Amino acid sequence: MARGLRLSAELVGGVIVGAGLGLGFDYLVGSSPWGFIVFLLFGFAGGVLTVMRSAGVIPPRNV
Amino acid sequence: MAADPIHQFQINNLFPLGTVGGQEIAFTNSALFMGISVVGIVLLMITATAGRSLVPGRAQSLAELSYEFVADMIKSTAGTEGMRFFPFVFTIFMFVLFLNVLGMLPLAGFAVTSHIIVTAALALLVFFTVIIYGLAHNGLRFFKLFVPSGIPIYILPLIVFIEIMSFLSRPISHSVRLFANVLAGHITLKVFAGFVVMLGAFGVGGWLGAILPLGMTVALTALELLVAFLQAYVFAILTCIYLNDAIHPGH
Repeated sequence: MARGLRLSAELVGGVIVGAGLGLGFDYLVGSSPWGFIVFLLFGFAGGVLTVMRSAGVIPPRNV
Repeated sequence: MAADPIHQFQINNLFPLGTVGGQEIAFTNSALFMGISVVGIVLLMITATAGRSLVPGRAQSLAELSYEFVADMIKSTAGTEGMRFFPFVFTIFMFVLFLNVLGMLPLAGFAVTSHIIVTAALALLVFFTVIIYGLAHNGLRFFKLFVPSGIPIYILPLIVFIEIMSFLSRPISHSVRLFANVLAGHITLKVFAGFVVMLGAFGVGGWLGAILPLGMTVALTALELLVAFLQAYVFAILTCIYLNDAIHPGH
C-alpha cells in the first residue's frame, strides 16, 4: 500500500500543479479555459514522468 | 459507542497565546505533541551522548545508530558533499519519526503528521532550501536541472516544460505521501477497533465474532509502527534526493 500511495501521490501532485498553474494563467491572461486545458495536460505529463522515474521504468535524472 | 474515526484528528486549543491580525493564535494539542517530540529528541541526543563512553550503553548506541543511519542515507544519495546538510536532514528525520511514533501512543496519542499543513510546511521548507541553495551554490547552472542532456532540439522546449511541471509537483507529492499514509493508517485502525466494540454489543456470539477484528487491530498496530518508521525514512530520503539536485544539478 505504501508504494501505491507514493506513486499515486506523485501522479495526482503533477495534475494538481498543472491545474493550479493553468487556472492562474487563465486568471492573469483571460484565456479561459485554454490555459487550464493545456497546463493540465502538461501537469499530467509531468506527473507520469515523476511516477516513471520513481518506479524505475526510466533511469533517474543524473545519467 | 460508535466511534467516529475522524474525531481523533480534532485540533483542540489548550490555552490562547494572543491574536495576530484578528486571528486567535492558541497553543493546541498539535503544538503540544510537536513540543514533546522536540524535547524527547533533545533529551535523547544530549543525555545519551553525555557519557561519551568508548563502549556505548543502550541509550548511547541508540543515538549513535540514528546518527549512522542518517549519515549513510545522505552519503549514499547526495555524496559526501551532502553531509553539509546533515543537521537539516537529521532534524527532519527525527522530528517526523518522533511525531509518527507519538501518534501511535494508545489513548493519548495525537498524530500530528496526519495534518497536511504540517507535512506541507516541512515539504515546502525542503523545496525552498533546494531552490535557494541551488541558485546560491550553482548560479544559473542550477537551471540545467530542467534540461536533460541528449535531447533533440526540436522537442527540447516541450521536455523542459514537463520537467518544470515535474519539479513543481514535488512538494505536493512529498507532503501528501506522509500525510495520506498516517491519516489512512489511523482511520483504518480506528474503524477496525470500532468493529470490536460494535460486535461486542451483540452478546456472546458477537464476542466470538469480535475476535477477527481484534486480531486485525493487533496486526494493524504493528503495521502502523512499521509505517511510522518507514514514512519518516521515505520523507528523509526524498529530502536527500532533492538536496542532491541542488548540490549537483544537471550532469
